[in-house]
Amino acid sequence: MDLNNVETLAILIPLLPLLGAVAVGVIGLRGLRSNSHWLVLIGVGLALACAVRLFMNINLALTKGGSGCIDGLAKSWLIYGWINAGVTWMNVTFRIDSLTCVMLLTVLSVSFLVVAYSVGYMRDHHGHAERGYERFFAFLGIFVFSMCMLVLAGNFLLLYLGWELVGLSSYLLIGFYYEKPSAAAAAKKAFIVNRIGDFGFGLGIFLIYYTFGTLDYKEVFDLVAKMKMAGGAALSPDRVTAIALLLFCGAMGKSAQLPLHVWLPDAMEGPTPVSALIHAATMVTAGVYMVVRCNVIFSASHYAMWIVATIGGITSLFAATIALTQFDMKRILAYSTLSQLGYMFLGAGVGAFDSAIFHLFTHAFFKALLFLGAGSVMHAMAGVIDIRHFSGLARSMKITATTFCIGGLALAGFPLLAGFWSKDEIIHAALSSDMPWLGYMALITAWMTAFYTFRMIFMAFHGQERLPRDVHHAHESGPWMTAPLLILSVGAICAGYVGVTFGGHGFLGVFEPHGEFHHFLSYFTSGHRGTPKHVGAAEAGWLLGGHRLMYVSAAISLWGIGTAWFFYRRRPTIPLAIAFASGGLYRLLYNKYYVDELYDLALVRPLRRIGMVCYNLDRYFINAILWVIAAVPRLIGIILKGWQTGAMQGYALAMVVGLLVMIWWMLVAA
Amino acid sequence: MKEGFVLNSSALMLVGAMLFGLGVVGFLTRRNLIIMFLCTEVMFQGVLVNFVAMGQRWGNLQGQAFGLFVLVIAAVEAGLGLAIVVMLYRRRGTLDAEHWRTLRG
Repeated sequence: MDLNNVETLAILIPLLPLLGAVAVGVIGLRGLRSNSHWLVLIGVGLALACAVRLFMNINLALTKGGSGCIDGLAKSWLIYGWINAGVTWMNVTFRIDSLTCVMLLTVLSVSFLVVAYSVGYMRDHHGHAERGYERFFAFLGIFVFSMCMLVLAGNFLLLYLGWELVGLSSYLLIGFYYEKPSAAAAAKKAFIVNRIGDFGFGLGIFLIYYTFGTLDYKEVFDLVAKMKMAGGAALSPDRVTAIALLLFCGAMGKSAQLPLHVWLPDAMEGPTPVSALIHAATMVTAGVYMVVRCNVIFSASHYAMWIVATIGGITSLFAATIALTQFDMKRILAYSTLSQLGYMFLGAGVGAFDSAIFHLFTHAFFKALLFLGAGSVMHAMAGVIDIRHFSGLARSMKITATTFCIGGLALAGFPLLAGFWSKDEIIHAALSSDMPWLGYMALITAWMTAFYTFRMIFMAFHGQERLPRDVHHAHESGPWMTAPLLILSVGAICAGYVGVTFGGHGFLGVFEPHGEFHHFLSYFTSGHRGTPKHVGAAEAGWLLGGHRLMYVSAAISLWGIGTAWFFYRRRPTIPLAIAFASGGLYRLLYNKYYVDELYDLALVRPLRRIGMVCYNLDRYFINAILWVIAAVPRLIGIILKGWQTGAMQGYALAMVVGLLVMIWWMLVAA
Repeated sequence: MKEGFVLNSSALMLVGAMLFGLGVVGFLTRRNLIIMFLCTEVMFQGVLVNFVAMGQRWGNLQGQAFGLFVLVIAAVEAGLGLAIVVMLYRRRGTLDAEHWRTLRG
């Protein structure tokens, strides 16, 4: 086994977590019990090492080879023939390029830290493992495997497989506490809402096959770039738009964009590490990954790009407004995840695919950090996560409070932290596109993000120490939990610098956007990138020049933080007064725009009514027919059973009579 | 050896038929499981005699050879059948066939 070989490494990356998961699943309950985490931790850790090695190899190859052409830099190869569909084979093919490397590094490093964190989290205060401990780690392993398959896939069918597998692991992990009805319902909701998106995604893949006669990334993208269908006929723009929009349907489900966002806040019923890993850092970004992966298809349709950007921009504002009024820490973070995912789609929709991936990368670190910090608080508060019930935790939980604050700063776009660089790039791209209003909307969202993040931080960590009723003293979590927090907070501070160049006359005289990260990704995006949308709209012109936008967004972030500080530390009566004064609007936001209620009224209830009709039809009509059919043999049986006396002599007599009749027939009749 | 009296094969077959008929009548009229079982054996012997008669009639030894085989099988079957009867007796404490009418519809 040659560990320098890219192909070997790429097979090991999904295989190792899978092996760990299977081993835990088989021997976890009997043999390992509270040591079950080791196998998965080692599996994911080794996979992470492989991914780092892979990245180094690819990076070396890129910098040496260095041509801008995608074909020389992406490696796509066959693992084995999968489905033989007569004229064509569906194969398991992997594809490695710079986008894959970035995704693998993000997914695996966050996964590794979250698995380590779970070792501390999935135990009670005496260090005893929770019920289902081994099941939890087996599911985490399956998730990491599925996510790696999704990212490594070299064709749409394998992408779909990984896509469904991460959906499955998400379902399993949201419903981890399946005895709790709300958790079981949330798991079901996540699965069903995702199915709606996946239905469109599946149709998109069918349409791709129908149009191009292949599902291989390279072949499809080459054909789209030439605007050709299978056989050389010209590809109509409407067809591309249809494909792009159907694919985006899947992305809306998986990445919880409006109107399919309803499952993500409910998914917080799962254990907090799951929320951190799957519902913040990795799985929900699969939609963004897919849109960027298919950037050729999306760029070919102006209309589809418009939809992607608009949905992203609206979702990000919509979710941020809801987050302003919520009190559950995990829900606030969930809505902020929606909002940040909206940013990523906005970036992709205006053609800044590399910025979208950059934001995905930095977001993974600081959002995982925030969720894990919330988990640490929840662990110390005996499961209470409502910020009205505790405050002033900073004194007793120093590490959690500090790291949470770092994560919050990064999310709020505080200057020089990870979120600042990536968010600013997206806003810049949106402002310079032909839809600058989306950029202004993103700026408003940025203010709200800073405000609600620090509202949460000030309410939970500052002020007088107040604890929920059954908690006697707050205590810091153990090293298994604090170590990942510390490592992730380093990520939340530094992850942005891979996308920044130093020197020049940039922001604060030192920082110039677009760094190594973009250079690395450009090997992926430059090959087929559509016409750049950076046309520079006139009205946004002033903001765009001379790094002014960076100063503006830094000021907005500080303004948001300052407002939160003033509202929740200085004058705590103001928020109450505003909530009271705005009455209906506040209730609208607090109840999340009544979207769930709307769906219940418009979809769930009619469907349930149709279900009842079908049920009664089945019960009283179809069952009745079956009953009649079943009654016929029973009737015949009732008539015939009189013959069956059970007496041996009777049977013997019948045999003798039969014998005599036969003899008579042979001798006389014949 | 003196040329002896050779039985007419029809007479032999008549004996076989009588044995068989006796067995049938016994089987139909008696209730005792052992008697019924013995009656089946009598029917068996009637068939056997028929085999021998046939062998004599066609002038070969096949009938007799077959009869010997059947005798052995019959012995084995008798052992098995009696064992079943013993087991049935243990279950119900009686040999009356009337007590085994569980297959009534």
